[in-house]
Amino acid sequence: MLHIEGLRKAYGQRVVLDNLNLSIRPSEIYGLLGPNGAGKTTTINILCNLLNADSGDILIKGQPVSEVTKLWIGVAPQENLIYRSLTCEENLNFFAQIYGLSKRERRQRVEMCLAAVGLADRAKSPAEVLSGGMQRRLSMAIALIHQPKLVILDEPTTGLDIEARYEIWELIRTLQQQGMTILLTTHFLEEAERLCQRIGILKNGRIVAEGSLSELRRYIPASEILMIQTSDEAGAIQRAKALGFPMRRYGNELAFWLPKHLELRDIIAEFDGIPLDSIARQPARLEHIYMEITQGHNLMQRSC
Amino acid sequence: MKYWQETLAVAQRILIELGRRQRSLLFWCVFPVLILLLNGIILAERENLGYARAFEQAAPTTLVGAALFFSCLGGSVATVVAEREQQTLKRLFISPLSGISYFLGIFVAHSAIGVGQTLLVWTVAAFVGGEFQGSWLLGGIIIFLSILAYVGVGFILGTQLARRTEDVNALVAAFGVPLLILGGTFIPAAFLPDTLLKLARYNPIYHMNEALLEVAADGAELADISSHFWFLIGFAVAMVAGGWLSYCRMLHIERRL
Repeated sequence: MLHIEGLRKAYGQRVVLDNLNLSIRPSEIYGLLGPNGAGKTTTINILCNLLNADSGDILIKGQPVSEVTKLWIGVAPQENLIYRSLTCEENLNFFAQIYGLSKRERRQRVEMCLAAVGLADRAKSPAEVLSGGMQRRLSMAIALIHQPKLVILDEPTTGLDIEARYEIWELIRTLQQQGMTILLTTHFLEEAERLCQRIGILKNGRIVAEGSLSELRRYIPASEILMIQTSDEAGAIQRAKALGFPMRRYGNELAFWLPKHLELRDIIAEFDGIPLDSIARQPARLEHIYMEITQGHNLMQRSC
Repeated sequence: MKYWQETLAVAQRILIELGRRQRSLLFWCVFPVLILLLNGIILAERENLGYARAFEQAAPTTLVGAALFFSCLGGSVATVVAEREQQTLKRLFISPLSGISYFLGIFVAHSAIGVGQTLLVWTVAAFVGGEFQGSWLLGGIIIFLSILAYVGVGFILGTQLARRTEDVNALVAAFGVPLLILGGTFIPAAFLPDTLLKLARYNPIYHMNEALLEVAADGAELADISSHFWFLIGFAVAMVAGGWLSYCRMLHIERRL
């Protein structure tokens, strides 16, 4: 559905995209992750034909990016870009007209999109009276009004409460079931973990890791991650070193990679003599993988 | 067909938004009526004219000088700035909407507002006995060209100079009010001293006012107002071209998510 090869973009001396390669299969949810400034928004701007790349190829359904491919893309940007004094129905009808839908198609699509995002009963409500979650759903409905083949969701749940977030996740799954291909950017790693079939991690303008969650786990050769709170961190680190447990810091938390599964009593026994305030085990999650890939060097430096 | 549908969509949207702000709509009706009443009464008393004749003379300048200036020029600036402030411009950039349709949509919406104000002004003038003396067609063309020029200027100001809603007032005050006075909108141009009258000949509002005034109040024909008329055509074309270039520049600078 989407194929990006050797994409490069620089603003003066500052290289934003550096030989970016990316492919998304039809009906796939692909998560594009990366720190701020990694090049996610620039990539979206180029996909939407708002920016020209310096070099490289982008094919959408086999066609290079142009005004024609705009019709195949639906974008729900980070902010809710809606006309606040128009009703939900009027917002959708306006964009349906812009995308060239006939009157009959407009009526059908407006109804369908409102139903799809769960706003059918708010069709006549002005957008400004809707809650933040509802406005985000309306923004997504606008992205869907012209039946795009590729939907780009740029941080779709940023700023939403947990309930609204679950609603958006459900909606994204439904869109995938309907056959849409989705490119999702997010800072919520749990969101990517739950929704995406494949994940690409963007750093300094290039994909530094890509694959399914299980494929990405190879970046952390550990059976589990042990999180420890102790008043004697130096002692714990020394003990872990002796045991051969690689050490990391995730934020302020002290963590060790366990090379094999250990029972809790065995772990406590291994740290005998170290005052443990709390101890927790968890599988290697996307946040650990992400930290390892984007800041691995720093995580290890801080361990020295 | 694509352009027509897009133009209609933009125009409809602007008019629906205006309709929602009923208070603004009411004020847009009150404004020209009040200006007409004031101009009409001043002319009647100072020039010893009958009310019918005074309102015939006051109606053209009230319409093209005051009403259309604020609704079409100020309104166009406000439309573009509001799009920028609520960031819906970005949404339009993503869509296949063409710049031509966007300009025409704003023009059509403000033409509808202009037609409404035209009807309102001449209804009030007719109520006190004023009549439209000249050719309706020629008058209509002058009004059309005035709206086109105002929307063009509004596009230039809105895309290039006004970043926020607060800027609209400052811009309209700085650019507009002196030009309105110099154009004979509030004080008849005949009252201006020679030095200002010479300056007024470079003021498009002066030509709009004089052209419509001579047609509507004195029954002048195209040959009688040719200098005003051709100036107005040239100005309208230049402003549409300027508006288009400004839009292209805005696209170049702001077309990002």
